[in-house]
Amino acid sequence: MPRIRQARLAVAVTATLLIVGPLAWLWQDSLLPQAYSIMSMGYADRGGGADGGHDGHGGHGGHDVTALVADRDRPADVSLTLTARQERFRLASGRTVDGYTLNGGSPGPTITARAGQLVQVRLVNDNVRDGITLHWHGVDVPNAEDGVAGVTQDAVRPGGEFVYRFVAPAPGTFWYHSHQVSHEQVARGLFGALMVLPPEPPATDVVALTHLYDGVRTINGDSGDLHAAAAPGTVARVRLINSDNGPTSAWVAGAPFRLVAVDGTDVHGPTPVSDASVLVTAGGRADLEIAMPDSGAPVRVQIGGALSVVLGAGEPPRVAQPAKALDPLGYGAPAPLAFDPGAADRVFRYEIGRRPGFVNGRPGMYWTINGHLYPDVPMYTVAEGDVVRMTIVNASSEVHPMHLHGHHAVVLSRNGVRATGSPWWFDSLNVGDGERYEIAFVADNPGIWADHCHNLKHAADGLVAHLMYEGYTTPFVLGAKTGNSPE
Amino acid sequence: MRTVYKVLAYIVAAEVIVQAMMIAWAVAGLGLWVDGGGVFDKSVMESEQVPFTEVAGIIVHGLNGGLVIPVLALLLLISSFFAKVPGGIKFGALVFALVAVQTTLGYAGHGLPVAGLLHGGNALVLFATALYTARRVGRATAEPSAEPARDQVAAQG
Repeated sequence: MPRIRQARLAVAVTATLLIVGPLAWLWQDSLLPQAYSIMSMGYADRGGGADGGHDGHGGHGGHDVTALVADRDRPADVSLTLTARQERFRLASGRTVDGYTLNGGSPGPTITARAGQLVQVRLVNDNVRDGITLHWHGVDVPNAEDGVAGVTQDAVRPGGEFVYRFVAPAPGTFWYHSHQVSHEQVARGLFGALMVLPPEPPATDVVALTHLYDGVRTINGDSGDLHAAAAPGTVARVRLINSDNGPTSAWVAGAPFRLVAVDGTDVHGPTPVSDASVLVTAGGRADLEIAMPDSGAPVRVQIGGALSVVLGAGEPPRVAQPAKALDPLGYGAPAPLAFDPGAADRVFRYEIGRRPGFVNGRPGMYWTINGHLYPDVPMYTVAEGDVVRMTIVNASSEVHPMHLHGHHAVVLSRNGVRATGSPWWFDSLNVGDGERYEIAFVADNPGIWADHCHNLKHAADGLVAHLMYEGYTTPFVLGAKTGNSPE
Repeated sequence: MRTVYKVLAYIVAAEVIVQAMMIAWAVAGLGLWVDGGGVFDKSVMESEQVPFTEVAGIIVHGLNGGLVIPVLALLLLISSFFAKVPGGIKFGALVFALVAVQTTLGYAGHGLPVAGLLHGGNALVLFATALYTARRVGRATAEPSAEPARDQVAAQG
């Protein structure tokens, strides 16, 4: 009888160990080092390209990314200082928010430049404890100006400063935001708009940066409608910027519109649209142009269900969201690309899934990249000048706004359907559940670039990979001990 | 250990009640908020900044269902190895399996709404099973044939 009891106990203990043992192993295996280099992270994916000889992944030597800057001797054409503070502040509409400001407000000042001008921004951290950076979302800046803490620079500590310099790209709509503890700092105010004006701007040119503060939707920090004067018969441009973690839709009542630019790149041959909404993905931009009716009737651009930009005098009625959404895949007129996506040097796959597991010791349902949890994710490795094709697949049950730093990519097809409209260049792509996008770009901006989900909570949970150029290294490290936490 | 097993099973059943209450509370709060002019979209859904109090129901539902209940079910299963309840391992494993199914259906529902339909039904199956698992502890051990039954479990184990 005691022997039976002992045997029973032994079996029970063994069964327990069989369950707890693997869990404990997975837990300890997921713990991140206190300090680590992005270059040692995950595994190199060369996309079928040749090994460049010197191993850029985890290797030493090579060009330091800190040397990748704009012309140091060139004087700045547009120069300003942005001072960040962590404080309780008042929105334009009077509501108070516990968050972050730039030059005393949120959003920070709209930076305006002309194509080719050298923009110089001095970022000063007054008192933000976790440190800050600025990332120029959609601007293909030199790598050292990209503002990713622990990858292209150290986070700017309280009392410190950092100077960003870059040449303004072709006219378009962009934005800037912190890339240090970004899921917290962006949600709570550390961002602003950046626009590069065309040689002859339209009569009415409005930035409409939409953001949720404490769950309250705002346009340019105001929870009321934005009214803009627009004379009958003139053209008005509305630059929609979505700084949130989820996509939002916009639609126009009172006149047809044209979608003239996506993510800071002009659409070729945009045609008038009157019965469809435009989806602006998280981090994405969409520029609408509206020919104001000769009758003098006002036009309403609705952003989500809550707020509008009202062009002209009066209060046009609200309308329900159109059943159809404008599909950029077939919108506008085709135009030749400056490169041949068919002759790709590298072919990558970025498949997003979801499964239970541990990330840095925390259990949960986590996003995977090609089946792996962070940090065991691919390091997409390219050489300068490569033509790169990438298949982005989302099999994770939720939408992901995928954002590649330092490059614009073009959509070739979605779910096997080829793009037939204007070349659809993007830096932020709304990849819905079950969707598969083929994209292509030219690796023409060397450095180490984040390629992540711009639902910044997802990025913080590990939905972040990197694009690395062979022969480049970063001296910066991230991890709990380093004070650098880019997501 | 038998008490631990029994209490854990009761807690799992109680947690199912909490889950149902939380999600119904959140949906009611959402309805009222929209009625007052609020707009619920993906950005609000992804925002951790709470536009209405009852959204806490969704957060609690997610934490409970994604972490707390699976851990409780795992502990129930482990306690069953030691509890010497006749048939206890079988029911511990059944509750654990139902929790696994429930969690999977819950997450799958984000992309496949019909999984949400089954999630609602499976919740009641899980509740009934967890409750039965707890209540049969006393009965199973009070039976006169308790001793041989326990040996059988050992042989199975």
